[in-house]
Amino acid sequence: MSSLAAREAYKDELTKLAADNANIICLEADLGGKEHPFQQSYPDRFFNLGIAELASVGIAAGLSKAGFVPFFSTFASFAALRAAEGVKLALGYMGENIKIVAAYGGVSGGWFGTTHHCLEDIAVIQTFQNIRIACPHGEAETRRVVQEAAASNEPYYIRLSRNDKFDSLARDGSGSCRELLFEGAVRSDALLCLVSIGEQATEICSQIYKENERVNHAHLCYVDRDSLKRYKAELQAAAGTLLVVEEHRASGGTASSLALLLPESRVYSHDCGEAWPIYGGSHADVLHYLGFGYEALTRQIAELGGDTDDF
Amino acid sequence: MDTLVQSPSHSAELEELLAKAQAARSSIIDMAARETGCHIGGSLSVIDLLIGAYAKYHHDADTAIVLSKGHSAASLYAALYQYGILSDDPAASYGGADSLFTGHPNPKLPGIPFATGSLGHGVAYAAGWALGQKLRRTSGVGIAIGGDGELQEGLCWETAQLVQAKDITNFIYVVDCNGGQNDGLLADISPLPNLRERFEAFGFRVKEIDGHDLGQIIAALEPDGEKPLAILAHTVKGKGVAAIEGNPHAHYAKISEKIALKWKRGLQ
Repeated sequence: MSSLAAREAYKDELTKLAADNANIICLEADLGGKEHPFQQSYPDRFFNLGIAELASVGIAAGLSKAGFVPFFSTFASFAALRAAEGVKLALGYMGENIKIVAAYGGVSGGWFGTTHHCLEDIAVIQTFQNIRIACPHGEAETRRVVQEAAASNEPYYIRLSRNDKFDSLARDGSGSCRELLFEGAVRSDALLCLVSIGEQATEICSQIYKENERVNHAHLCYVDRDSLKRYKAELQAAAGTLLVVEEHRASGGTASSLALLLPESRVYSHDCGEAWPIYGGSHADVLHYLGFGYEALTRQIAELGGDTDDF
Repeated sequence: MDTLVQSPSHSAELEELLAKAQAARSSIIDMAARETGCHIGGSLSVIDLLIGAYAKYHHDADTAIVLSKGHSAASLYAALYQYGILSDDPAASYGGADSLFTGHPNPKLPGIPFATGSLGHGVAYAAGWALGQKLRRTSGVGIAIGGDGELQEGLCWETAQLVQAKDITNFIYVVDCNGGQNDGLLADISPLPNLRERFEAFGFRVKEIDGHDLGQIIAALEPDGEKPLAILAHTVKGKGVAAIEGNPHAHYAKISEKIALKWKRGLQ
């Protein structure tokens, strides 16, 4: 088990990067927690802008224009929905070098309820065009995505969960997270390929991959349209049927993007359906209520390919 | 009016600026005569503020001037043209199918740092620029030129809150107080009483000026050093064109070439 949840890994990695990059600015919106490592190491470049997400994106745009690399972190719902117009203009249209780090993606907020869930962010951000979208899984991948974002001049939206801790899937030391990652060897006789996005989805798909020898597992860290185009050939080679597993609504999710990019493939979606969560509980509890998880996915695989035993 | 800034005596430089403002007004009228028309009322109220701001800062690479009330794009284009920042005459193609002179400021053009028009965003952008200059320890300033109607947007006050909280004292917020908005008078729609006190409560130094007096404008556009600065510039919608001066319904207009000629002849 990794020692850090993704959003803690983000803070730590950004603080390390700031040592060699004086242009990195850390912006928080009253959700970064006390004793933020960046604030402790670089107080002059750390700004808790308070509960003002829309203004924060505008301020980040001005900082970017002045040559800085602002990383702005808040919860996904506040970044992608409340501040949506600022993100559209500053990151999408103007292409400013802003990195949004959005914790509480999906329903990782669990019992905090619908105001603190975000099952729409990928669709919204994807619609704005030109924004690199990353959904890292586990500490190592999160660290690498933060490194890649800092090294890039592109606007980024990085979706994280809450406090779960995961080991990332093994990736070559020099490999970019923009490379599609297959778990294990690609099985030539697979009936379908699971395509996982985000932490919970990747964990579930990894479990099924280990149990079923007739499925492949492709993990996508980057899901912006430009990155998805790069994955086309590899995904087509992995299986004729793709089952995209993503903690998101079906509308505007990665399955719908891949279906448009791969019209010759059969693309299915395991997503969070159409219901609004009304109960509390853990992240897993809320996912279960929405019909997302290991059991539901196993049933869906069976429906697509026959009985589970066929795999 | 509680005018805290006195106009300097006339000089050759001031005469030159008055000529630029006059030429810019003529250009705005020409844009109103284009097939699309333009936001003429607010463009004529803000043009002196733009001429003054560029006169003072257009050679300063560390200062950003952002027209946040982006619907007055015609005035921004006219001002940038007067200062040679734009080489093409905006009145020749404004609103056209192949023209970059769109109805709200087009950041593909030189001198336009951000896409404004959806109100409030330019204010936050300028504050961010100012913060960047402060971090770089330059003398640069972030100047947002907004409208009084724009102050109905929460984003303006969200930004004002942050500016004082983060001590961004090289930020200047110029408010074109023309008293009008799209559907009529602010006073009838959503009034802004005690505006000076509001900005003071947000930690700003406040100056009130005649927004058509270039001497006052230039004198006022000096960062305070201790506090962020709000300049409440009292202006007249449609200023310079007697037929529409003070008329809140002159927010947007398309006029004939004949009317345009008449209005240009009557410019004062």
